[in-house]
Amino acid sequence: MLAHSRVNALARCVTRRRRLCRRYSAEAAVEPPPAGGHLPSIATSSLLRPTRDLAIRTPGLVWTDEDGSGPSRNIIGGRETRKMNLYQAVRDAMSVAMSKDDHAVVFGEDVAFGGVFRCTMGLAEEFGRERVFNTPLTEQGIVGFGIGMALMGHTAIAEIQFADYIYPAFDQLVNEAAKIRYRSGGSYNVGGLTVRAPTMAVGHGGLYHSQSPEGFFMGAAGLKVIIPRSPIQAKGLLLSAIRDPNPVIFMEPKILYRSAIEQVPTDDFTLPVGRAETLIPGSDLTLLTWGTPVYHCEAAIHMLASPTPEMEEHTPVALRKARVELIDLRTLLPWDIETVVESVNRTGRLVVVHEAGMTGGVGAEICAQVQQRCFLKLDAPVKRVTGWDTPVALQYEKFHIPDALRVFDAIVETLSY
Amino acid sequence: MLRSTTTRRLSALKRTHFCLSRSYSQPQERLPHSQSPIVSRPEFFNTVTSNGQQISTYRVLDGAGKLLDATSTIEIDEQLARRLYENMQLLPALDNILYNVQRQGKISFYMTTYGEEATITGAAAGLAMDDEVLGQYREMGVLLWRNFGIQQVFAQCFGNHEDMSGKGRQMPVHFGSPEHHFHTISSPLATQIPQAAGVAYALRRMRSGTVAACFFGEGAASEGDFHAGLMLASTIPSPVIFIVRNNGFAISTPSTEQYNGDGIASRGPGYGIDTIRVDGNDVLAVMTAVKEARRRCVEQGRPALVEAMTYRVGHHSTSDDSFAYRARSEVEDRKRIDNPIARFRLFMESQGWWDAEAEEALKAKLKADVMKEFKRAESVSLCEVGELFTDVYGGEMPWNIREQREELGILLKKYSKSWEPWRNQLAKYKNQGQDIMKE
Repeated sequence: MLAHSRVNALARCVTRRRRLCRRYSAEAAVEPPPAGGHLPSIATSSLLRPTRDLAIRTPGLVWTDEDGSGPSRNIIGGRETRKMNLYQAVRDAMSVAMSKDDHAVVFGEDVAFGGVFRCTMGLAEEFGRERVFNTPLTEQGIVGFGIGMALMGHTAIAEIQFADYIYPAFDQLVNEAAKIRYRSGGSYNVGGLTVRAPTMAVGHGGLYHSQSPEGFFMGAAGLKVIIPRSPIQAKGLLLSAIRDPNPVIFMEPKILYRSAIEQVPTDDFTLPVGRAETLIPGSDLTLLTWGTPVYHCEAAIHMLASPTPEMEEHTPVALRKARVELIDLRTLLPWDIETVVESVNRTGRLVVVHEAGMTGGVGAEICAQVQQRCFLKLDAPVKRVTGWDTPVALQYEKFHIPDALRVFDAIVETLSY
Repeated sequence: MLRSTTTRRLSALKRTHFCLSRSYSQPQERLPHSQSPIVSRPEFFNTVTSNGQQISTYRVLDGAGKLLDATSTIEIDEQLARRLYENMQLLPALDNILYNVQRQGKISFYMTTYGEEATITGAAAGLAMDDEVLGQYREMGVLLWRNFGIQQVFAQCFGNHEDMSGKGRQMPVHFGSPEHHFHTISSPLATQIPQAAGVAYALRRMRSGTVAACFFGEGAASEGDFHAGLMLASTIPSPVIFIVRNNGFAISTPSTEQYNGDGIASRGPGYGIDTIRVDGNDVLAVMTAVKEARRRCVEQGRPALVEAMTYRVGHHSTSDDSFAYRARSEVEDRKRIDNPIARFRLFMESQGWWDAEAEEALKAKLKADVMKEFKRAESVSLCEVGELFTDVYGGEMPWNIREQREELGILLKKYSKSWEPWRNQLAKYKNQGQDIMKE
């Protein structure tokens, strides 16, 4: 406890001395806007797991104990949890990965003092500057460097400060990381590479601190792309990403860094890559999303079931008892078509929600596959609720992102088709 | 209270003024994060040497193969000299055949090493056999030095099922072999440069004593990845030798349109990297420079930059006719005046290590070896068609790739007898596509 607070104090002290002029200031980025917070549902979301019991019974969770495949793997008695927000869970995952793997290193811009979002806080003190280090300000260099380390069998955990700045590394990711195993006939690979990047809107990020670039990587066969929705998910999926035999882009919804809080198991555990998770079962409509909009979708489902007096007129009584199935896709590439198709074949209706623009977005790919596989079962056109095909303009964000109301409207329209 | 604040501000202001005036008169003042001496006259500078001089070029043998400095001690004996010479001669022996084989349409593409034999062979000889090499594409000579074998050269260029570099997936000359510590070549230029910094940092952590060697041309040095790679290797100290083949051309673009400074070597000091320029047509100079660069890298755990000045005698590739942008006479002159192989042969002869008879025997042997492997490669079948779909991912094959593999199998089953382009092509594959049709 004491040690921890000392680390915090140190980090604060270092932060104060630094001037983060070029990009988003750390303070501004991580402090959620105070009044009229735009995501009131996150703090009270029933999707988060506030107790130890719920946390250790997270679906799909696999304990990764020291003794490999020993019989204790499935025993949950004695497992401890700690209340963490998403950045603390990310930090915890990297700490676990590094303590078990001497070849694991963490690097990027400003990671040594703890990172502009605190995700690497105290790691340099814990593991040394040889394993947790700053790089010069060059995204193409960071990913190239990580590829080089991974080529030599190291576990390279690279950070791109904002997903908006991943494009300078696009060539290294798409032409190099994604294709190295294939082009070398399997004799070289960069499975040890994980690239972390904060993503999605944050309330006031403007054009270059809000983007959701996951769609650009959908065609990069050889890469995996993962986006978690909560602290437990972040830790389990990040540990899976780090250990996956393929290069992974791990995008962390930055608005959730502090706002999403739950009990997180302190032991080493993983969650499955390539598997979606059904969060709320239903039979009338499939609502598919990932990252921050998971909470907007949850709110929209509540709006439908119990409208506020102002919303009553917009909420047909016949639809209020509709059972909407909410799915978190979690892995974008390769995505879990089985879960999605099974669900849509049951419900006959699909709404896909994402923050990125519609044209060429991930939703387009999903909708095309679903219409091909569920053609005879569809009772309504597949609908997409996405950011508009514009950049994310600062003062217009509330009208840009697919918030609970827009998801609500899509559900109502699709159900009443 | 107010007054005291004002007073403090005033005195702070005075201090500032005092500092400003003093900084002009007292040269011991330093700026934060810099050891730069302060001067009182505006002085611009350019390149890294004074008086407009260019960075000097290190050379061991003159054009006639004589030691430039008779007192210099170069580590060379007859055995090593023969090996260097034979490897240099192997390059044109392979180039002649493979270039012509491409012209006959038997392979799709080729790139020769003409004129750069000494740069490649000398650099290879200056490295340890287990130094990790990341190349651009004109570095086949490094693999040959490491006993990759000409059978593997043909297997890769023909993309047949013996190709250990990449199962016939990449274009010719994109070699690779973990066994020979040679990372698989890829076409995007300069991407290997920051990767080499990462490789070297990993070596420093877990395999000290070895270094990474990163080859690229002067054209590739214009890419952003060059900047990133040199900066990373220098700031996150990593033992990597950057070896630039400055051969005067990037396809049609002469180096005068590639940069305005003093070549690539002048950039090294800007990154705080030990740098040397060397005569790339002098195999002993290249070998010695790379050896010394390697020694520094290992000792200091830091990078080094070697710029080898040479001339691209051949066309850029088989898709290029270089006489469209340079005079045939210029190339012929360079070949005659400064042939790296001839220069070293003169040195060998002066030492009594080589003669016309040995030359004839070597050429006959190389020709026979190359022809034998060429004939063999022609008859080897390609991989199974199913290899189109493997190795995209490690671990389980994702559903989309699995389904698409099945779909091609169904299409082959349905049309391979009726659709001539497929029928002809399938005949060249191991199992003629049966591996994916039977499922």
